[in-house]
Amino acid sequence: MSPATIRMQSLVGREVARFMKIKRQTLGAPLLETFLYISVFGAALGSRIHTLHGYRYIVFVLPGLIMMAFATNAFTNNSSSILQQKFTHAIDDQLSSPASPLELLLGFSLGGFIRGLVVSLIAYVVAGLLVGEPVREPLVLIPSIVLVGMFFSQAGVLVGVRAQQFDDVALYQTFVIQPLIFLGGVFYSASLLPQPWGTLTRFDPIYYMIALVRYGFIGFHETSIAISFLALAVITFALFGFNLWVFTKGRYLRT
Amino acid sequence: MPAALAIRDLYKRYPTGVEALKNVSLEIPEGAFFGLLGPNGAGKSTLIHCTTGLARPSSGSIEVFGHDAVDHYQKARVGVGLAPQEINLDMFLTVEQVLDYHGGYFGMSRRDRAARIKELLEAFSLEEKRKDATRFLSGGMKRRLTLARALMHNPPLVILDEPTAGVDIELRLELWRYIERVNTEGTSIMLTTHYLEEAERMCDRIAFINHGEIVAEGTVPELTAHYGVATLEDAYLALVGREELARA
Repeated sequence: MSPATIRMQSLVGREVARFMKIKRQTLGAPLLETFLYISVFGAALGSRIHTLHGYRYIVFVLPGLIMMAFATNAFTNNSSSILQQKFTHAIDDQLSSPASPLELLLGFSLGGFIRGLVVSLIAYVVAGLLVGEPVREPLVLIPSIVLVGMFFSQAGVLVGVRAQQFDDVALYQTFVIQPLIFLGGVFYSASLLPQPWGTLTRFDPIYYMIALVRYGFIGFHETSIAISFLALAVITFALFGFNLWVFTKGRYLRT
Repeated sequence: MPAALAIRDLYKRYPTGVEALKNVSLEIPEGAFFGLLGPNGAGKSTLIHCTTGLARPSSGSIEVFGHDAVDHYQKARVGVGLAPQEINLDMFLTVEQVLDYHGGYFGMSRRDRAARIKELLEAFSLEEKRKDATRFLSGGMKRRLTLARALMHNPPLVILDEPTAGVDIELRLELWRYIERVNTEGTSIMLTTHYLEEAERMCDRIAFINHGEIVAEGTVPELTAHYGVATLEDAYLALVGREELARA
């Protein structure tokens, strides 16, 4: 095994070891949150709304909930992990190693990606058993959800690297990511919104992510899948490229 | 034979405008035990951070065993082990994991890591704590682990930034015994410390740094002769302009 492979394994291994060490908080809490959403929206609201665009309400909202679990966990994990390591200077151990900027970026990114994947997979398997959620378009679903995970992993890395205090991380999570996810149509269809909200929703990038994931699961779409996928791929790789530049220059990490 | 560490015309200017290092040139021969002494804020830690990649120099060059440590740094970084002044252990990991991941970051194979961890845990009397989380260790244990981590990947140059700060006498003697052994076996050491008697006893050569500049360098007799005083402590006091504190 090459030294570069060993370095990558160790960088990712450290990130996984961190979230496994506090798994009640990093895996248990988000799973509980997802199941609370499913219970409330499936059992309570679902009994009133019945169907949306011909789909059972819970079947319609579940793709968005699974995507939300992936996105928030990938973001939170990476931003918190990097900020904690910056506070304690433990990050100096990785920064003073021979790891290249690309290896460091991938190492820090993949921890959150794996955590998001684990939470969303468990949520899907359990919810799938309870609700019978289909997967109509796996060839769209898999690359789309991978891109969503990558995008939020990169966003988490960028926020963690720039953050000076925990409040900075909470600020993005509470005032940017969570509202955009909620307003992106996790719990409803944008076409049912009155104007101007229906149009405004289309300026929310997360609307297109939810659209892709929903199409992958149940085959429903109200926007172009090809354009949404292309746009998601472009912004994900653009963010990755920007982060790689940040790591190469050592901005915010090296003095 | 290339020097363990060769620094030439190094400048470090922070975005705030503070010039932390000014035209620093320094050479540590292979196998040397080299002391870098100076008051707080003199530039010692900045120099160490530039050498280990934690800070980017504004200009100048740094080479570790002939390998560039600034731009094409991979070979240079493998050659350096750092025990920082501030304990910076990963609070989510156990003692064993700290060493294991560190070895991994430096590309050591699983087998080499396992063998080296066993050796270091024995050498630093940490075997019983191997499964303990670092956040539950005493201050002395954390200091031992920090030093063990610096030595984990068998670096030929070890940088010790005040390694015995806040350490009790027995542990200090234990640490020095191990570091002396490592030096005797061929590892080059760069040490910063505020304990001048330690520097005097251990170091072959010493450099004084103040206000970001190397102001004197040599053996202890050379430094005392340079300042026209009897002891290293007096030479240091002359460096910082506090001769009135001399004990003689």
